[in-house]
Amino acid sequence: MRRILTHFRTRLANSRLFPNGEWVLLLALMAEIAFFSAIAPGFFTLGNFFEVLRFSVELGLLTAAMTPIIIAGGIDLSVGSTVGLAAVVFGSIWGNGHLPIWLAVLVTLLVGCASGALNALMIAGLRLPALIVTLGTYSLYRGIAEGMTQGAVSYTGFPKTFLALGQGYLWGVIPMQLPIFLLAIVGYVLLVHRSVIGRALYAIGFNPEGALYAGLPVRRYEALIYLLSGIVSSLAAIIYVAHLGLAKSDMGTGYELEAIAAVVLGGASVFGGRGTLLGSMLGLFFLTVLQNGMHLLAMPSELTGVLIGTLLLAIVSFDRLRTMTVRGRKPVAYLAGWMKRAKERRLITVGSGIILGLLLVVSTIWIVRSVKTSGTAGAKSAAGEPHRPVIAVMPKAKGDPYFISARVGAEEAARELGVDLIWDGPTSLDASQQNELVENWITRGVDAIVVAVENKGSISTVLRKARQHHIPVLTWDADAEPDARDFFLNQATPEGIANVLTDEAARLLPPDGQLAIITGSLSAENQNEWIRFIKRRLASKYPGLSLATVQPSDDDRDKAFAQTQTILKVFPKVKLIMDISAPAVPGSAEAVQQSRRKDVDVIGLSLPAICRPYVHSEVVQTIVLWNTRDLGYLTVYAGWLASQHKIPRTATSIQVGRLGRLEVRNSEIILGTPLIINKENIDHLNF
Amino acid sequence: MKFYKKEIAVAVAILGLMVVLMFSAPGYFSRENLTDLFLANAPVMIIALGMTLVILLGEIDISVGSVFAICGVVMGVAARGGSPVAISGMAACVVGAACGALNGALVAYLRVPSIVVTLATMVALRDGLRWQTQGAWIGNLPSGFQWMGTTQSHYTVLTVGLVSLLIVLTALGLRYLRIGRAVFATGSNRAAARIVGIDTQWISFFVFTLAGLLTGLAAMLNSVRFHQIPSNLGLGLEMKVIAAVAVGGAAITGGSGTVLGTVLGVILLGAIGPALTFLGVSAYWEKAIQGGIILGAVAMNVIGNHREKNAADTDPLPN
Repeated sequence: MRRILTHFRTRLANSRLFPNGEWVLLLALMAEIAFFSAIAPGFFTLGNFFEVLRFSVELGLLTAAMTPIIIAGGIDLSVGSTVGLAAVVFGSIWGNGHLPIWLAVLVTLLVGCASGALNALMIAGLRLPALIVTLGTYSLYRGIAEGMTQGAVSYTGFPKTFLALGQGYLWGVIPMQLPIFLLAIVGYVLLVHRSVIGRALYAIGFNPEGALYAGLPVRRYEALIYLLSGIVSSLAAIIYVAHLGLAKSDMGTGYELEAIAAVVLGGASVFGGRGTLLGSMLGLFFLTVLQNGMHLLAMPSELTGVLIGTLLLAIVSFDRLRTMTVRGRKPVAYLAGWMKRAKERRLITVGSGIILGLLLVVSTIWIVRSVKTSGTAGAKSAAGEPHRPVIAVMPKAKGDPYFISARVGAEEAARELGVDLIWDGPTSLDASQQNELVENWITRGVDAIVVAVENKGSISTVLRKARQHHIPVLTWDADAEPDARDFFLNQATPEGIANVLTDEAARLLPPDGQLAIITGSLSAENQNEWIRFIKRRLASKYPGLSLATVQPSDDDRDKAFAQTQTILKVFPKVKLIMDISAPAVPGSAEAVQQSRRKDVDVIGLSLPAICRPYVHSEVVQTIVLWNTRDLGYLTVYAGWLASQHKIPRTATSIQVGRLGRLEVRNSEIILGTPLIINKENIDHLNF
Repeated sequence: MKFYKKEIAVAVAILGLMVVLMFSAPGYFSRENLTDLFLANAPVMIIALGMTLVILLGEIDISVGSVFAICGVVMGVAARGGSPVAISGMAACVVGAACGALNGALVAYLRVPSIVVTLATMVALRDGLRWQTQGAWIGNLPSGFQWMGTTQSHYTVLTVGLVSLLIVLTALGLRYLRIGRAVFATGSNRAAARIVGIDTQWISFFVFTLAGLLTGLAAMLNSVRFHQIPSNLGLGLEMKVIAAVAVGGAAITGGSGTVLGTVLGVILLGAIGPALTFLGVSAYWEKAIQGGIILGAVAMNVIGNHREKNAADTDPLPN
């Protein structure tokens, strides 16, 4: 027995398949799959298998491109931004230029090629450090994409044949983009593992100077991999556009770090000289399966991040412990010897390091356990109780104070009705993550889906799919396409909000006054829509008023603060700041307060809870909002009604719990008009 | 002057920007604007000092944004719980140092590459915080919280003093203290440093802990400017800080870089954003211009010393 084990160990250690201990990861992946198969509903099905593959394609392409770069001791932080740039270029060529799709594809690949070439030129040509160069192009490419679209434009309405590339199936099961992905992977395997160039890349990564002295064309090969990375990123962008049916400047945000995480998990060394494509792919699937499983278990998205971080550390540390030696001995043996000589002063420092590591582990366990007890919806119904309906509600962004306060109302309704509530969404605005979650909810089989739509074009496809599976679909906060949902919970139309805000501004300003707008992010769809309506209202009704500038705050209070300070100085005539992002209002208010300018007013869309002190001190004159708690209540209540088929198609009004009778008009459930909140009524509001 | 070529390049860029602003937007140089700019960038400056040390070692720390957020929230929670501002501020620093120590222990003693360690802690800490706070803001802070119980102008003076002191201390420490020289030695050639008797692991651990501590301090200074603490502080801060240090001429491969360069880098990048608004450039192009400036500054560094040895970025340590 022992001999067999030893035999396998040496085989594994010397194997060409797993030169860096990737079998550890393979085991972890298998354990993960077994774990989720056992407890996650709908996980171990063919449909879900292909769904996971489909969602891995874009990231997988970037991971493949990243692998040879890391093997050669480099790094490419610009891949995610290249995706954004390529997507926007593709969209604008097709949308504005009205050129045929194949030409758009060609030009997009050329743009990817060019962006890769710039990296290659600076890294291989000028011998600049890759980390810094790609950090620069990371901003540059994203910035060009934002500048080109002015943030606001997103391209939709691509032809069906093109969308099939990202959404269709071959023979009814295999996602259309999978063959392209496989082709790319095979290409990269050949490049890295079966070619002279591949061997040279390892040599370069292991010792760049040695490789140079050995006569290898180091620069040419380095240039090649960065160039390829640009091209593959633009290919990923095209598939991504087909997948979502939309091209936008913020696509691919954060992908660079996920790709690096996958490659590093796969056993590659960021110092170069180590790594395989097989390992990278294992790393990729380890991450995507984890995300998929957590969604199917209805675990909150944040927990996935915590787990990924912890597991990344655990696996890499395990690998280090396995291979490293400390003064010629295995770490465990060395540590044991070291404990005996405990007088060493550094013991304290290392001890504290270990304790901290333990704390991290303990806190993770604690988090997992508290999740288990606090509310894995649906897990309880397995215990033989009557089936409790599961209502899945998605905010646009979980961290936004606006949606946090809506959640309170949603939970209230869930308690009242005795239903299980899944409340999950992207941690920051992200249309593709919304799609992924809805897909996972369909696989899981929830009783109703209620979505605050980030992007109409991209989510409608997947919502239609949910309706085909006989799951009632409702939208709230912002609508999808009317045929993709059963009802829209209409709290206020964008035009209504814009008009109320503009009228308030006109009331506070002299007839020829100036105002400035601070928005959330320049690429957020609904905020751009509000700005459009505000401009229209200004032009039609208040021609005397002028809009000095529109500045982004990235939904960050501190940035809104700094932007307001700058606006006040650059545009001294601006007497009113209009913030259309909830965290921006307190930021602007604080800036106005600290500047001691009594003549400047702040109004905006925000929550009473975070604006109260400023409303009392009359820096903030008015905030406009509907009752978010009621809206949250309505999401769950209406979702439940729809799941019980209690809303007849012909209804003109429905009874919604404590909210009383609400009007139904053209498959829209009307919550009421926006509240105008000021000093008089703010203390009567509890959200 | 040969040694300060990179710094001069950045200084020239800053001067160029100033000249342009002088003619087209003199309001930029008003006292209020300069004060506001300073206060807005003080946290970046403090964190960049720590990052300079980390980068001098040839390591990197991309978890600073998440640590910044955690420290801010910890400070808010402590203050709301009734502890005096000084104690809450200390709590923030301690938590920052603890996060730094965690990074440092893994990098120094387990020899996991720092980009992997800090990538993992960045994601885990950020999402852990999101999960704990559920995105809620820390409000209802005691009235003495803002400006640490003093006034706005006192706070400004205090911050100016503190930041200057830290800059000078870091610069002098790097130049004259034994541990400062050891940072350079470790960053330029780890194996050689160890052979001459430097405890390179301890140095790494110390530097990461110090960087965490400085992040905590920055979070404290930033928090007390407001009444409330959002839990999504510091998103993207790591990129800002690393870019500033890199623009300042520090070599990412370690062993080369100055505090002066970092200070100039922070000034350049901090000045450029508002300057674009002053110059009337559309906000949509801001990011592209910033990227261009980073690339330009980095390219400027090498033009002229093309033949500078391409420091082998492999870890020469036999494991």
